Formats: sequence, C-alpha cells, structure tokens
Amino acid sequence: MTEAVVAPERRAGVGDVLLDVRDLRTHFEVMDGTVKAVDGVSFSLRKGGRLALVGESGCGKSVTALSIMRLIDMPPGKFAGGEILFEGRNLLKLDDREIRKVRGGEIAMIFQEPMTSLNPVMTVGDQISEAVLLHQPVNRKGAQEVALQSLVDVGVPDPKRRVKQYPFELSGGMRQRIMIAMALSCNPKLIIADEPTTALDVTIQRQILELIKSVQERTGTALLLITHDLGVVAETVDEVAVMYAGRVVETGTVEEVLLNPRHPYTRGLLESIPSQGKKGQRLSAIKGVVPNPFRMPKGCKFEPRCPYAWEAGAEEEPPLIELGPDRTSRCWLYDRRYADHLADYEGRAQKKSAEVAS
Amino acid sequence: MDSSATLEELEQRPDYDVQLESLNQWQLAWRRFKRHRMALLGSALFIFMVLVGLIGPFIIPYDDTVIGAPDPRFNAGRPPSITHLFGDTGRLHRDVLTLVVNGTRLSLLIGVLASAISAVVGTFVGGVAGYFGGWLDTILMRIVDALLSLPLLFVILAFSQFLGEGHASWPTMVLIFGLFGWLGIARLVRAVMLSLREEDYVDAARAAGVSDVRIIFRHLVPNSLSPIIVATTLGVAGVIIGEAFVSFLGFGVDPATPTLGNILSGALEFISQGNWWWAFFPGAAIVVIVLGINFMGDGLRDALDPRVKV
Repeated sequence: MTEAVVAPERRAGVGDVLLDVRDLRTHFEVMDGTVKAVDGVSFSLRKGGRLALVGESGCGKSVTALSIMRLIDMPPGKFAGGEILFEGRNLLKLDDREIRKVRGGEIAMIFQEPMTSLNPVMTVGDQISEAVLLHQPVNRKGAQEVALQSLVDVGVPDPKRRVKQYPFELSGGMRQRIMIAMALSCNPKLIIADEPTTALDVTIQRQILELIKSVQERTGTALLLITHDLGVVAETVDEVAVMYAGRVVETGTVEEVLLNPRHPYTRGLLESIPSQGKKGQRLSAIKGVVPNPFRMPKGCKFEPRCPYAWEAGAEEEPPLIELGPDRTSRCWLYDRRYADHLADYEGRAQKKSAEVAS
Repeated sequence: MDSSATLEELEQRPDYDVQLESLNQWQLAWRRFKRHRMALLGSALFIFMVLVGLIGPFIIPYDDTVIGAPDPRFNAGRPPSITHLFGDTGRLHRDVLTLVVNGTRLSLLIGVLASAISAVVGTFVGGVAGYFGGWLDTILMRIVDALLSLPLLFVILAFSQFLGEGHASWPTMVLIFGLFGWLGIARLVRAVMLSLREEDYVDAARAAGVSDVRIIFRHLVPNSLSPIIVATTLGVAGVIIGEAFVSFLGFGVDPATPTLGNILSGALEFISQGNWWWAFFPGAAIVVIVLGINFMGDGLRDALDPRVKV
C-alpha cells in the first residue's frame, strides 16, 4: 500500500520546469456571490512536455487556461491567490506591456471555434503577420514571409493564394490550421490548445490533432491541451491532470490515469465512454450533476456523486495525496487510515473491468 | 467518373481543380447596391451635383463676384433668359446660375467635411466607450447625453455669432457642424462595439499580444464600417440642410460668399415682387442633393447589411 504523503506542491526537477501553476485561485464576483471557478489548482509542465487538463464543462479548465494568458476580464474576475510561474516569472505579477510580450510571443493559444476566431475583414496573411510584427524584429515584408512559411509548415495547400484570402473563404479545418500557423509563427515556448477539435468534423479532428502533435514534436514547444475528450487525451499527450469543481483531482502519465484511475471521478469518466465492448448494455454515467458553484459541498466536492463515498469525504476535503513520482489523487482512499475502503474500491474496480472484458 | 484516370489525365480535364472566385464583403455590397434602383438614382443625382460643384465654376461664363449693370425696368431681377439661364438677382443683378453652382460647391464642401469630422470624432469616442466599458463608457456617454439635450440650433446660432461676429466663415461652419454632429455616430459605434467586443477573434487577438487600442482601430472599427458609412452619408444631407437653415436665418456664411442657404436668404425679400427664380433654383439644388444622398444612404444601408442575401 502506498504511504499517504501530502504533496504541498508538485515540483518536477527544478530547472526543466516551464510552467508551474501553484494553488491558483480565480474567482468571479457576480450578483449572487462569488463563483470560485478555479480554487486551488496546481500542476506543472516541463519544457517540451505535453499535458492535458481534462474535465466536464464548468470544471474550471478553460478558466485555468485563460488565467495563464491573463485573459480573464477583471472585474468580475479576480485572482484570489496562487501564482503562475513561467520560466520562474510570476505571470500574475506582470504589467500590461510585459504580459502582451508573453501572449503570442512566448505562450500562444489555439481556440475552440475556428469559425469565429479569425477577424472576418482581415486577410489570413495580415492576421498572421500582425502577430509576427508584434513579437519579432522583422519589417512588414519579412512578416508576410514568416506568415507564408508558417502556412507551409501547417500543410495548407496553395499557401500563396491563401495568404490573400479572407476567413470566410476557408473551411473550418482550414481555419484551424491557420490558427495553428498563427500560434506557431512566433516560435512560442508553450502552446495552449483550448478544445482545438471540439468544433470540427470527426475526420478533420484527427488531422488537426496529428498536426498539433507533429508541430509540437518538430519545434519542441510544450503543449497544454484543454479537453473533455479522453480519446483526444490518449492520442495526444503524455501527462494528464483531471479537474473537478475548480480543483485538480488526479494527475499522472496518460497510461497510468487512463488504465488505472486512482480517483473515483476519473473512473466514472472512463466508464461513461461508450465503446464496442459495451454493446447492448446501458451506458453508465456518473449520477447527479456538477455542484452548484454557490453551494459547494463542505468536504470532498465529488462526495455527493461518488459511489464509493463514506463519512470522511462528507466532512473534510481530502488534500492532493502523492502516490508516486508525478502521480497524485485528491481522495481519502489513499490515506493510510482508510486502507479497508481502498481494498473495497479496488475490488469493485476489478469486477467492473472483468465485466467489460467478458 | 473514370476511376482509372491518372493524375496527369485528371489535370487535363477542364473541371479539375475548379477555383471558385469568391466575392468579398464590398463586392457583395456593390452587387446588392447595383440592384437597388432608388439608390442608383440617388447616386446619379448626388454625383451630378458633385460634378456641378467641382467643375461647374470653370464652365459657367460669369464669375460669382460679377455685379450686373443696374436696370430700372427689372428692379427685382431679370427672369431666366438665354444669357442668364436661371435669371439674375434683384438689386445687384448677380447671375443666379453662377450663384447656385458656387453655392452647391460650398454647401457640399461644408457637408462632406463636417460629416467627416463627425465620423472621426464619433468613431473614436464611441469605439473607446464601447470597447472599454465601465466608468469610461459612463462618463463619455453622459457627456453625449448632455450635449444631445442642448437645443442644437440655438447653440449653433450662438456659436456662429460668437466665432464669426455675426457671419461665420465657411471653415467655422464646418467646425461647428463637425463638433456637434458626432453625437449620433458615437452612440451608434458604441452600440456596435458592445456586441463586437464579445467576438472570439477579439480574444484571439488579445491572446496574440495585440494591444487594446490596436484591437479597437485595426480589428473592430473595420468591422463596424457599414453603419458608420451609412450614418456619415446621411449626415452630409443633414449638415447641408442645417447649414442652409442657419444661413437663411442670416447667421451663417457671409452673404457675399454664396452657399445654397444664403442665396435663399437674399431671395426672400424679392419673392413678393414676382422673382421666383432666385429662390427656386437654389431650393431645387438643395432638394436634389438631399434627396440624392438620402436615396443613396438607404441603398447603402440595404447593400451593406450582410443579412440580406443577394
């Protein structure tokens, strides 16, 4: 049995850490009170690493991404605590001019909606070269050349014609390629992709994921992928952080988390994926709904929906418990005091996977 | 379809790699505008009057400062004839055609310049207020509300009195109308900005490190050009009417410099003596210009509305 060790903060070999989010708290002051969209999120990402933030809608994964870019509207948003260290600099402390240098130049973002993320009255070439001009020491002509080259890099056919076209002349997949080209054009150290394939056809999704992966490998930039799709996770990244109700509930390598989930929520997510093996059976789902942000449970935020819950979760929220190198779970199961509950959990989990296998 | 064709063969076929020419926003708008009959008529009237203003003064035989010899038989002016197509004025016997041509030139100039000032100021104020919102928006829009609640006519009369000692020079008129005409455009642009700032491409631009000022003027203003163009076009007509009104009341441009308004003002006294031509021709010029602009503006409004399908 693993020793229950509380991880105050996760450090992956100082020096090669690119992004270190520590206890980030992004809150929104609204009419009815405070929405704690992100409340104590910690994770880190190595140089050239690939990490996915996974969770349901409203779990705070997009807010985390927007907090890193400092794109949260304030008010109503505010940073109530924590820090975001990017190469040792706290992004939350930078002034406007400094953060604009980081945006696009060092951290680039790819958005969910390629159909609306490009300005309809600017040509593709102008939009890419606008970012290039801001971050690189080139003139207008040089920027147009960089734009053209970045279109070549993302495999846009006939790039010379495309740079002169307007977004409405392009398909969704093509526009997402343009967005990726734009993100790449300034050689960022980190690319944040917020649900980059959600709005695309299934056939295009694969192409775009392959593209993101191949440019990531070629350029050695780090990738932070935000998604709710565990299939996308399995194909694209090395490490996963699962989020629930504004917290990270489980982290680990992609194999570890997907094959051996150590948090009941992650297990629930994996069991709700429809698959061929479950043909003819009822789809399993996590019962209940995401907690109301104004009435968060007192203890573990997942406790009301958890099939394995007992009193411990209702009373006190578990800390992020370290289970091994880069492997954590926010669940009382991994506290030494509750070894019998863990045995029960693992027994039931084994039975379930045996059912699926048969 | 022959599936065994090689790529080389395929490329020979006329339908291989058909590249559809797509039309941009302005080409589509032009296509809609061309089908709008009243808009075409309006544009023709407006362009005609612009040409009159631009090249008319070089064609007509008289200079606008020429004063005819007094003629006791026609104290109220001579009616239209071959030598004076629009007749001449009472008292000084100035050629009405010459006055109308020069008046058209000056009235249009005042209208266009004042509207341009309004468009620039209004777009700037509305753009900043709408994009940033918050206290800046509140302050700017309350200023607009306050200015709109002033009885504009009296303000303009007071200004022209104050700035021009009774008769303003025409650049003063441009300034007066420009500085009071931007209020409507500011409100319009603010409203458009409020909705545009929520667009995804604004977030994308911010994520690329683009500054707020650049987002407003490089990304959002070009996206709100359609309503600005329509409002500015219609604004030209408004200024021309307003200028005519102020000049008619005798507070506008010096009567020695003809604008359509002060030609009318001079004609007033002689209408009762049977001189209809002195008032009719400049009046008709105003009607033609304003009607032309209004038809054109309506056409632009329809043509620039992307919701209308061709």
